[in-house]
Amino acid sequence: MESANEIIKKIQPYFADLSVEQFMTSPVITVRDDQTILYAKELMRSWRISGLPVVDDEELLKGIISIEDIIHALESGSLTSPVSEKMSENVVFLSKYDKIMEVVKKFELHGFGRFPVIDDAHHVVGMVTKQDLMIALLKKLSILYVHDTRREDFVGIESFRSIPKNIKSEKVEFEFQIDYKEISLAGTGAAELKKFLLSKNFPSKFVKRIAIATYEAETNVIIHSNSTGRIKTYVEPDFVEVRVNDNGKGIENIELAMKEGYSTAPDYVREYGFGAGMGLSNIKKCADKMIILSSKGNGVLVEMHFWRHEGED
Amino acid sequence: MAFWSKCIFGGMKVRIEELEALGFVKVTDGEGEIIHGYTCDLLSEVMGKAKSGTVWITVQSHVNIIAVSVIAGVRAIVLCDGRDYENETIEKAKNERIALFKTDLNSFEVSGKIYGLGVK
Repeated sequence: MESANEIIKKIQPYFADLSVEQFMTSPVITVRDDQTILYAKELMRSWRISGLPVVDDEELLKGIISIEDIIHALESGSLTSPVSEKMSENVVFLSKYDKIMEVVKKFELHGFGRFPVIDDAHHVVGMVTKQDLMIALLKKLSILYVHDTRREDFVGIESFRSIPKNIKSEKVEFEFQIDYKEISLAGTGAAELKKFLLSKNFPSKFVKRIAIATYEAETNVIIHSNSTGRIKTYVEPDFVEVRVNDNGKGIENIELAMKEGYSTAPDYVREYGFGAGMGLSNIKKCADKMIILSSKGNGVLVEMHFWRHEGED
Repeated sequence: MAFWSKCIFGGMKVRIEELEALGFVKVTDGEGEIIHGYTCDLLSEVMGKAKSGTVWITVQSHVNIIAVSVIAGVRAIVLCDGRDYENETIEKAKNERIALFKTDLNSFEVSGKIYGLGVK
């Protein structure tokens, strides 16, 4: 399966511009280096936090004190000593200008749960925990939908278990440019893909699922994106991945968009029988896994995974 | 042909020519057999629900109905209410070997007639 890091790398373009000061917790609770460990312990207890940045009189970062340090102080009976005696001095910190990918890397590299944030003058201006990071990602990607049905009929079969190594292959087998805006041409790419997959001897039921899902994604590009798009397909013996992306205006509310019958399609399109609000839910029905990534102004990426089910021969 | 050999999943296999015998006007020839029927004007519904080997009863006549048919496995279309196909639709249908019919009857009446053949 994909690691969190791989997923984050994939979706990186969507939040590359996000910097620490936009999602750090601020103002931050700090403790002065000459205050007692007992006092630090009380601060942590009352604020329910597990680590405090330690500063001097001028709010300059001197170290960090964690629950672990306090336990050590308890063991050695030094709760009344100044914080400076038990704090960790080698603090890994973030600059408020750091971009989110650097933060992700630091969390991976150091394994700490939190980092103090400093400004140009080395003053402590905030704190970033894993939770802050997660919330920042989710907020930025408020428009992210994941649907996954890899459960029932085929999780037991060998081909499923061997997928993780298979899908590493980044070889695009089928590519189609959605460069037309004419609604009546919608599905041209999907129909081409259907023929391509049949020529590769995939069973027709399996191919139909893929073609339907691709048609819907392609049609969405034409109706909604007001831009061009691309269909890319990766093929393995028992697995097909289709990615449809566009450079358009993006989805504003993914939850609504996922709802059956909800549509933002214009009337002229509806007269043609499009815009019934069934597109995304059709994809959901056909694909074993689908990931939709979108944010306003950044287009939409629909990634769909199809595994050959038992009986789809 | 024995009755049983024509039965598939509760529906009868019907040759495309038999639709013509119901009084629909043939616009293009098709290929294959009809086992199922589906009546709807929303493309996504047809896409998601029509089975392979379907005759599709609709009032949509624009060229996209051919793309939907190719993907969903629709073998024949009956266009209702006296409407006409666009030329582009007819050309595409010929290429894809999908049978096009038209009629003055409405969707309900057409569905009833085809249902009467045993198509489910």
